[in-house]
Amino acid sequence: MASLIPCPHCGIRPKEEFSIRGDASLVRPDPESSDETWNDYVHIRANPRGRYREHWQHVAGCRRWLVVERDTFTHEVFSVSDGAVRPWETSR
Amino acid sequence: MVHQYADRHTLEGLVPADVSAGADHLAVAARQAIVVVLAAPGQEAAVAHLLASDEDLSARFSAPGEWLVISGLQTPELLHQALAALLGDMAHCIDQSHGRVLLRLTGLNARAILAKGAGLDLHPSAFSVGQSANVLCGHISVNLARVGDDAFEIVVMRSFADTLLHDLRDMGRAFDLTTAFLA
Amino acid sequence: MTAYRLSAGGLVDRSAPLTFTFDGQSMQGFEGDTLASGLLANDRMLVGRSFKYHRPRGIVSAGVSEPNALVTLGLGARSDPNTKATVAELYAGLDARSQNRWPSLKYDVGAVNGLLSPFLSAGFYYKTFMWPAAFWEKVYEPIIRKAAGLGRAVLERDPETYEKCWAHCDLLVIGSGPTGLMAALSAGRAGLRVVLADEGFRHGGSLLSETTPIDGAPAAAFAAAAITELEALPNVTLMTRTTVFGWYDDNVFGALERVQKHVATPSAKLPVERLWRIAARRALLATGAEERPLVFGGNDRPGVMMAGALSTYANRYGVAAGTSVAIFTNGSAGYRTAADLSAHGISVAAIIDSRAESPDVAPSGTRVIRGGSIVDTKGKLRLSGLVVERAGFEEIIDCDAIGMSGGFSPVIHLACQRGAKPLWSEALKAFVAPDVGQGFGVAGSAAGLYSLPACLRDGADKAQAFANDLGFSTSPADLPVVGAEPDPSFTALWYVAGAKSKAFVDFQNDVHVSDLGLALREGFGHVEHAKRYTTNGMATDQGKLSGINATGLLAAMQGISPADVGTTTFRPFYTPVPFGALAGTSRDEHAAPKRVSPLHGWAARNGAVFIDSGLWYRPSWFARAGEKTWRESVDREVLTVRANVGLCDVSTLGKIEVFGPDAAEFLNRVYCNPFLKLPVGKARYGLMLREDGMVYDDGTTSRLGPEHFVVTTTTALAGGVLSHMEYCAQVLWPDLNLRFCSVSDQWAQMAIAGPKARLVVQALVEDDVSNAAFPFLAAKAVTLKGGLKGRLFRISFSGELAYELAVPAGYGEAVADALMEAGRAHGICAYGLEALNVLRIEKGHVTHAELDGRVTPDDVGFGRMLSSQKADFIGKRLSTRFGLTAADRMQMVGLKPIEKDKDIRAGAHLLREGAKPSTLNDQGYVSSACHSPVLGQFIALGFLKSGRERYGEKVVIWDRLRGEETLAEVCSPVFVDPANARLNL
Repeated sequence: MASLIPCPHCGIRPKEEFSIRGDASLVRPDPESSDETWNDYVHIRANPRGRYREHWQHVAGCRRWLVVERDTFTHEVFSVSDGAVRPWETSR
Repeated sequence: MVHQYADRHTLEGLVPADVSAGADHLAVAARQAIVVVLAAPGQEAAVAHLLASDEDLSARFSAPGEWLVISGLQTPELLHQALAALLGDMAHCIDQSHGRVLLRLTGLNARAILAKGAGLDLHPSAFSVGQSANVLCGHISVNLARVGDDAFEIVVMRSFADTLLHDLRDMGRAFDLTTAFLA
Repeated sequence: MTAYRLSAGGLVDRSAPLTFTFDGQSMQGFEGDTLASGLLANDRMLVGRSFKYHRPRGIVSAGVSEPNALVTLGLGARSDPNTKATVAELYAGLDARSQNRWPSLKYDVGAVNGLLSPFLSAGFYYKTFMWPAAFWEKVYEPIIRKAAGLGRAVLERDPETYEKCWAHCDLLVIGSGPTGLMAALSAGRAGLRVVLADEGFRHGGSLLSETTPIDGAPAAAFAAAAITELEALPNVTLMTRTTVFGWYDDNVFGALERVQKHVATPSAKLPVERLWRIAARRALLATGAEERPLVFGGNDRPGVMMAGALSTYANRYGVAAGTSVAIFTNGSAGYRTAADLSAHGISVAAIIDSRAESPDVAPSGTRVIRGGSIVDTKGKLRLSGLVVERAGFEEIIDCDAIGMSGGFSPVIHLACQRGAKPLWSEALKAFVAPDVGQGFGVAGSAAGLYSLPACLRDGADKAQAFANDLGFSTSPADLPVVGAEPDPSFTALWYVAGAKSKAFVDFQNDVHVSDLGLALREGFGHVEHAKRYTTNGMATDQGKLSGINATGLLAAMQGISPADVGTTTFRPFYTPVPFGALAGTSRDEHAAPKRVSPLHGWAARNGAVFIDSGLWYRPSWFARAGEKTWRESVDREVLTVRANVGLCDVSTLGKIEVFGPDAAEFLNRVYCNPFLKLPVGKARYGLMLREDGMVYDDGTTSRLGPEHFVVTTTTALAGGVLSHMEYCAQVLWPDLNLRFCSVSDQWAQMAIAGPKARLVVQALVEDDVSNAAFPFLAAKAVTLKGGLKGRLFRISFSGELAYELAVPAGYGEAVADALMEAGRAHGICAYGLEALNVLRIEKGHVTHAELDGRVTPDDVGFGRMLSSQKADFIGKRLSTRFGLTAADRMQMVGLKPIEKDKDIRAGAHLLREGAKPSTLNDQGYVSSACHSPVLGQFIALGFLKSGRERYGEKVVIWDRLRGEETLAEVCSPVFVDPANARLNL
């Protein structure tokens, strides 16, 4: 795991300021979706070697949920961005 | 029955009031007005601008669109009213004057003391006067602001203040750090 | 006399003598000595016994690679076992003791193992102590434990203090020898923030033992001048006694600073050791190279040392390790040592050069035996001579020390700690670090450059390259002038043939050549297997001297290149790091923060007995004079609340204020029950599910304004619920217009519960709190008499008429005192967590004992709260799946023992009456149990298959741990006031 995470809001911080939730590519399904879709969303996780996008929260800092793209093998961090794509920000 | 209630500082009895400050000193604010300002979605920049325009206010960044606004002059009620008037519908203002404790660490070794707890780079080129951020200090999340070359202010949640005080005293032991309530 | 202090020379301060003791014997050393140089100055070569055979062992090296000279330093709880005498700094009063010997170093009973050595070969333990299994614990292990092991760990509490610290820099230079000093100077002059760390107590590394002049002055003087210049640079931090032990992700390095290991009485102001995390944008490894031992017969005799160590003891410490020293070398380094010793007037008995020819020149008058090899050594506790073999002829040469030089291995551990494999260099006959990128470079001898001028230049060049890389401009390096040096070449020699006694590879773990051969024959030839099978490199020195020779031997035995054998894996830590340093200040009561409630002082004044509850420190009960057991106090508190009124601190509940036009919609989505239509001024109990349909947390949420709510969470999940809500708002539904923040610390909150609660609350609150004006589940901002603003909620966990009053935290104690004063006439008491628990069990209210992540709303009787009207909420979809709606799910019930005096404990299983006690017959379990003073018996909440259909049935409560079976009746979980009449008083 990376030792230092560049938080887009707070700067470079040690990993103990963060907590990890997991796969950031999951999209919460529509409530009417099939059992299988929901089962995949809630229970099924890949454990990839290599590039992985995860949700990390900067709990001891800005408390924002971030998307950390990292390599699970080399531990390299490629990018860290805010987890929310907010409509009023994209419209600017 | 008397209905006047004493406001008890959580560090009362743990910090002397009458110690003369050493070269490195930790001052505990006896009273403070602290209001959390949450910009309404989309109003972040406008709120930041308004907060910066008032010289009596010290707005500490804690998250995008979120600040701890501190005033040494006003009561919590007056600060809350002033901010509500200044920001109107653009922000939500929440009084946290009782929920936070303000500490001020000064001295040539202030940076060295903080480096024992906080992992962010405190070199002036990385964290300059006027900057602030939420940061983990030991086990405790605090808001840290650089208010001078060798002066930092720390805002901590009230329930953690006792432990943080202990930690800071430990961290400052090598430098004979003194602590006292701010007169 | 063999070893002795030279009459002059060295960097020790001869005007500052120090007295120390070794095994109780008083000795003299000087400021600037290590314990090892001090011992040698006092003619103590024998310092320990080996791990397995208890063979006598002497000092081998002058640094961290030392396998033999492990001693226990200090006294009592301050004892530090397995400390290397070769790096321990001498101080006045130092008390050092040898280890692994009984009764004494000279007469060690364990040495009988040496006689048994044919039976103690590699793998012996694995093969011998396998069978019978019962013998392992009773017979084998105690014997092995008694015989084996090095120093003894101290069982007393560690009185030392430790701390951790962060550092940030542009360039971290590891090692302050010639390469590191030049690198630090170049980078420091260019303006980089530089940290220069060295494990020694004095900067300079090999320069402190170097005889080649630099800029016409002694090398040590050059080092001192460089340090003076660096000290004056504000952008440079110099750290001595600091071992950089690990390279971690993102160029964060771990380092251990021994702040006060070298003082007799540590100052209380400073830690004894400090653990650093150094975040470096760039780093340069300038750790030099390690001289290799030679593997020849009898090479473990005390007096056989590294040639470079002999030079260091003479040049740096002014100590001769012997009066007549033989050199055994496969390269030019041995000749340098011979020259160093000769210059100090130490007699060199012979240079035995394994090469038939070499260009190296011996000091005049010194005998050189080319193409020779040592096949055996003489002496018992100290070397007295050697047997040299040349062209089939043997000769005995008298000597009391041998300096062996088997070539050099760059010290590259750190560069290979993150997965990179060392590369074999045929030219250097050594493993070198591959390019590990990421701004971590290797320079000087660590990069295979062995001459002083090359090291100085390489350090400067690589530091400048890093500086330019980071955008700093540099001027051409101002390199000092150094005279030409001899070519430091050598010929690889992994094993000296013809050994007449054991030839050791790993001195500390007693691994000799034939052990490695056995490993190979038995199929453990892979370098990692051979390590585990023979224990080569597994001791506290981690094979710093033995690793490369084991690789070379395994290669030679198979007729392959060392490149194909490779090295064992280099992992942190480079040298041992004490657990205390890793823990830092996080020990005892400071292992975690202690959260203090704003009502703490009030509770303490009222006799609270506190208990750890998560990070909080909460009142468990309030003992009164005459109460002998906690149960007496708790029963009184419960009965007082049921009959009169009680006051409880509930400040620790999580409180989150939610604002915005979409606040109600948001809450509607995070709770399973509806919130859109909650009126302003009302509170509602809410259940939060996880997405898998299980209950996550519960609490009351109050609407204080159309777009303003305050959510309460349980104490335990206050942090988790906040993160969950943040995830929902930021990631799942960023389009909702709302903001929220925790206000948990802003408010002191008190529950005032009991039939007389209103009288007490009304005494303080200006607003009308009558049932008509402020009915059950009312919530609003109130003004206290005197003007203080607070919040009042008509909610009840106890089942009694109850209010929760919140005031700004600083006023909490004063308001609680006032409530107690107002309640005195009504018989008020303070009640704690235990009473709170009894009250809620009597009322059938759940906590996380019930909401343990495995229960659905229906399991706890809240099935109707699941809103079918809402399009979506967290957990909606999966709460309808088959397994969560199955008819035979365990449902929450009440349990009452048939015999009233019977005790019930949480965790017990439920069985059908008459069923065999077995988990196969499991019908459920007890989640919470207590003594109910109201019912005068024990009661419990539990989960039972189809439980709500089974009221009146008798079940067996089976406490398997205690072997108890108790017959109980299944009943409604609401034991008190099922009609809720008391809530609406």
